[in-house]
Amino acid sequence: MKPLSATLSFSIYACSFLVGGVLMGFEMLGSRYLFPYFGGGIGTWASLISTVLCALAIGYFAGSAIVARHPTQRSIALAILIAAAYLACVPATADPVMETILNSLGDGASATLLASTALLLVPLTLLGTFSPIAVSLLTRSADEAGRVAGLVYGVSTIGNVVGTLLTTFLLIPTVGSRAITYYFAVVLAVCAGALLLNPVKRSV
Amino acid sequence: MIIRSLVFGMLASAVAVAAAHAQDNRNLLESKESLYNNIYVYEQPPYVSMTFGHNRRIYTESVYNTHDDKDLPVDYTRYMTASLMYAKDVHSILEIGFGGGRTAWYLHRFLPNVPITSVELDPTVVQLAKKYFGIKDEPNFQVVNRDGRLFLQESKDKYDVILIDAYRGPFVPFHLLTKEFYQIVKDHLAEGGVVAQNVEPSTMLFDSAVKTINAVFPQLDFYRADGNIVTVAYDGAERRGEDLAAFAHDRDKAYGLRYSLADMLNERRRIDIASGKVIDANAKVLTDDFAPVEALKSIERHNRKLP
Repeated sequence: MKPLSATLSFSIYACSFLVGGVLMGFEMLGSRYLFPYFGGGIGTWASLISTVLCALAIGYFAGSAIVARHPTQRSIALAILIAAAYLACVPATADPVMETILNSLGDGASATLLASTALLLVPLTLLGTFSPIAVSLLTRSADEAGRVAGLVYGVSTIGNVVGTLLTTFLLIPTVGSRAITYYFAVVLAVCAGALLLNPVKRSV
Repeated sequence: MIIRSLVFGMLASAVAVAAAHAQDNRNLLESKESLYNNIYVYEQPPYVSMTFGHNRRIYTESVYNTHDDKDLPVDYTRYMTASLMYAKDVHSILEIGFGGGRTAWYLHRFLPNVPITSVELDPTVVQLAKKYFGIKDEPNFQVVNRDGRLFLQESKDKYDVILIDAYRGPFVPFHLLTKEFYQIVKDHLAEGGVVAQNVEPSTMLFDSAVKTINAVFPQLDFYRADGNIVTVAYDGAERRGEDLAAFAHDRDKAYGLRYSLADMLNERRRIDIASGKVIDANAKVLTDDFAPVEALKSIERHNRKLP
């Protein structure tokens, strides 16, 4: 098997960090979108967190299915790009969507869950496919798999932490939620671009 | 309902900032962990107080004098009733943030014919208020268990007086402090209606809150209460002192209010909000999009003079 180019492996790790950051950053932002409609209670947080974890679970399963068929840079780049496009649509559409849910379902658990699903499920599921595919791209031999998986999940979890803290303590106090959402979309688009521009990994 | 722990400290002649397990002569009647708060109900005869624990401090939400049903021991809650002399009519009153319910109950006792609705997010708070704070189910007195903003959004009713006092420990939930929220409040005011709001003035959040209220209501009057400020906001032209005095006189007499509106009127203050002298010129109007309440809350106000 051909060794992976250093730049490609670096960009995959860098994307792993950035995608992880956006993922949790967007969960924190989700609270700003939901609170005005569904209140700031523990129920809203429970909905947000469970939706994020559901999205990740689906994303991991989908990622492993993709690994079995098209484990290419192009597949993850495409997933990230669609997530970016979804985020870019959120600021303009969130309010009418939340209002519709509020008016038809009220503000109970089902409404809050539906609202966080509408906001988070699609983009975060797409981002969730990243790690399994990244592990598959970075792994050259079976005995490397564990080491690579550990590195990818470690880097992406550090991204989660940075994304959570940066969004909460720096971005939300200085920039509006809608603007932050656009920033996140741009970061994801850049990640997708970086993966697409790197020479494609050839399988043996 | 909140007053800073300092105020309670004085009332209870205890230490200024009481640590959660401080030794003092208060007697803990009940503590409950609700969906939203850690609630402690203390007794120090004749007072019963409801406090919320928050990072090792205790924030007093409500104080009830068990010997005197019509007493309002907390200064700012009296000033919340100053709104009565502003409203064109007083046919209905809404309160957001029931707490121990003393302000609403005071109004109910003196205005028994006026329907009063109070909205409270935390069901345990309502339950404890009914158990310890002398709140009873009576005609014209209704407590709704709901998020304040959601309640208004779904309600089609209009009110002559809306009182806003929704705190959770030291914080106001951000969605109850934005321009969009005040617009919803304004949409639920009857013609000539007013909004009274309890604001804590020690941090930069005060400046932003004042600007936000002012972005929706052109007129703001200020009443300084011990440690808190009550703002009375209304639409239209500035009310003249003599007109308010006439209303205060009439309503003091009509309702037999214990805390006289005429006396409160003497404490009325106006601020030139646009001048930047009292309210920071850089303070931003809070919106659903941008409302960094936690960050603003952590910045002490500079020494600009309050009204």
